[in-house]
Amino acid sequence: MGKTPVGRATAVALAATVVAACGGGGGDAGDGKVKLSIGVFSDFGYTNLIKEYQAAHPDIEIEQRTVKMEQHHTQLATQLAGGRGAADIVAIEEGNITQFRQSKDKFVNLADHGAKDLESQWAAWKWNQGTTDNGNFVLGLGTDMGSLALCYRRDLFEAAGLPTDREEVGKLWPTWEKYLEVADAFSAKLPDKKFVDTAQNVYKAILDQTEEGYFAKADDSFIGDKNDKVEQAFTLAASLGEKKQTGALAPFSQDWNVALKQASFATTTCPAWALALIKAGAGDEASGKWDVAAAPGGGGNWGGSFLAVPKQTKHPKEAYELAKWLTAPEQQKRIFKETGNLPSEPAAYQDPEVTATENEYFNSAPVGQIFGNSAESLKPTYRGTKDSKVTPVFGNALSRVETGKQSTADAFDQAVREARDAVK
Amino acid sequence: MTVAPERAAGRGTTSAPPPAQRLSWRDKLGRLDAKFTPYVVIAPFFVVFGIFGLYPLLHTAWVSLHEWQLIEGDQGFTGLANYAELLSDGNFWNALGNTVSLFLLSTIPQLFAALGLAALLDRGLRGRAFWRAGVLLPNVISVAAVALVFAQLFGRDFGIVNALLGFVGVDPVDWRAETWASHLAISSMVMWRWTGYNALIYLAAMQSVPKDMYESAMLDGASRWRVFWSITVPSIRPTILFTVIVSTIGGMQLFVEPQLFDPGGTATGTGGDDRQFQTLVMYLYEKGFRLFDAGYSSAIAWVLFLVILVVAVVNFTVARRIASKG
Repeated sequence: MGKTPVGRATAVALAATVVAACGGGGGDAGDGKVKLSIGVFSDFGYTNLIKEYQAAHPDIEIEQRTVKMEQHHTQLATQLAGGRGAADIVAIEEGNITQFRQSKDKFVNLADHGAKDLESQWAAWKWNQGTTDNGNFVLGLGTDMGSLALCYRRDLFEAAGLPTDREEVGKLWPTWEKYLEVADAFSAKLPDKKFVDTAQNVYKAILDQTEEGYFAKADDSFIGDKNDKVEQAFTLAASLGEKKQTGALAPFSQDWNVALKQASFATTTCPAWALALIKAGAGDEASGKWDVAAAPGGGGNWGGSFLAVPKQTKHPKEAYELAKWLTAPEQQKRIFKETGNLPSEPAAYQDPEVTATENEYFNSAPVGQIFGNSAESLKPTYRGTKDSKVTPVFGNALSRVETGKQSTADAFDQAVREARDAVK
Repeated sequence: MTVAPERAAGRGTTSAPPPAQRLSWRDKLGRLDAKFTPYVVIAPFFVVFGIFGLYPLLHTAWVSLHEWQLIEGDQGFTGLANYAELLSDGNFWNALGNTVSLFLLSTIPQLFAALGLAALLDRGLRGRAFWRAGVLLPNVISVAAVALVFAQLFGRDFGIVNALLGFVGVDPVDWRAETWASHLAISSMVMWRWTGYNALIYLAAMQSVPKDMYESAMLDGASRWRVFWSITVPSIRPTILFTVIVSTIGGMQLFVEPQLFDPGGTATGTGGDDRQFQTLVMYLYEKGFRLFDAGYSSAIAWVLFLVILVVAVVNFTVARRIASKG
């Protein structure tokens, strides 16, 4: 008890630390450098580019933060809500950007820094996805895109008596209806193998090729319950599930990886970024067995991201300059060569360096050309503000059909009901 | 900053003997010291609790009374509307049912197994330290790793559990699709993680049971079984009550195991394609962090709090009855 003053002081100091810990915030380095942070998920291929940018701009210091994709967007939402903690530049994925468009007041309008002059760099649909208010508010600058192709296993196709050449395979399925016919032919020959991994991705691919999905282009209202295209896409995909031609796998899950390794399915929808996942899942022993063909129904896009600048940044100008540089065609080309992330700018994806790129693992498929063509011919789909709330509902419904729990009609009815609730 | 001057003052008083009239001042200080120092000493806990416990609790209550979008914040006061909606929300009752089912399936066998395990460890085993450390091992391993392993064990197409079932002629089970199967799989994960932990707590309590009680019971011809239920269990009653309460709180807040068991992950957050194993906290997370409805999510949090209180009181009463028998 004799040490009371010290004890008391400790208590006060403790309390002070707690308060200080709560009040901590980012700042600039003491050396007068502008400190920028950039928050991304998976591999954006920025590590080398950042080094180069720092060398060219000695007054700027850049820190890259990488977390998993789901976590990244949840974290960003809470950081925006709390008004602190977000990186100066944040990556936002295509499926999530609609949700953040609603909160555009938390972001810097990049048009204020001259972003509109860059518009012509991107494919028009990509640019539009990153903007809102009829193009007056530029929320994000496009990084990569997913494009869309269909990957197939050559050995399984051969065993099923189907052609294996990628041109001929592409000609087998000009439409999704034809794709279903190929599935029937395949299953008749190889009943123990599944034709496709999951109905969910087939559904997504079909729906993304329509002009409007769950929401009306005109007023963003929910039309998932009356848009025939939604039900058509659902029924097409679900029929694969009803006939047990799918592996009923959750896309990109652990089971999906095991199934890849075991060669249990013959086709899968593959955006450019999925090639790396297939390669990782199937392993070296499957090298040359997978190949890439054009997707049914024309081109499409799945995935790809944007770089946005939250309003809480202290350096909007510098952040914009960096985002602009990272998304420029020159850099996109380099990222493609390093990571395989497909450029979203014609100047980059039409560049001979990109179109001539072949992927050795996929039987030396000319991936640059296949994905570039798919991007050229795609009809962009409109994504509503609440798209990401509705999408999982229909995915779950297809999964219920695949596992035999519900009929297609029942599953669809339940999905529509849940979707109406979700957009309320 | 506050430390230095006070310390200096303290040193000043000891180094120079104070004049007589300042003795009473020191007396006063001493009295104040005795009166207030205990409060000051426990203050840090309450300050920390206030900031990290009480404030979020009250703030959550406040948020739950509003239409509150996660990013945009307050969209207007709605009173108890969120709670009213919650009571008529089928998904909420489904999640509550799943939570209770998972809790019962995992906690009851777990505590009995822990009791048995503790009784075994309490006997003179060879390599006692090894076994005791061993039972705690599952609890030390990261839950993410545990979930990864269990996801493989319970894989539908290539899982070991299904392969073993195949040997005895049972058809493969789709562990994620069926309600009961998914509950069993998740419960086994919870049990695997926590049985050893509870066993060690029981063991510690058992070791403080006076040995002469056992001896006299044995002399009276009581069987081991009888001794266990009539002497050991009643003697460690407070500990059993403690583990029941702690398991209740943990069980009702079950999140990580079922979430990691869900191949859809937090991207869907529905706990299976038909919400067959979505717990209350998973539903809270789905509403708050996928659908950005913070107001509703807060209402779930408060209802969960009340549910835990009720279940804990019920469990406490039941467990006290059981443990005091004999």
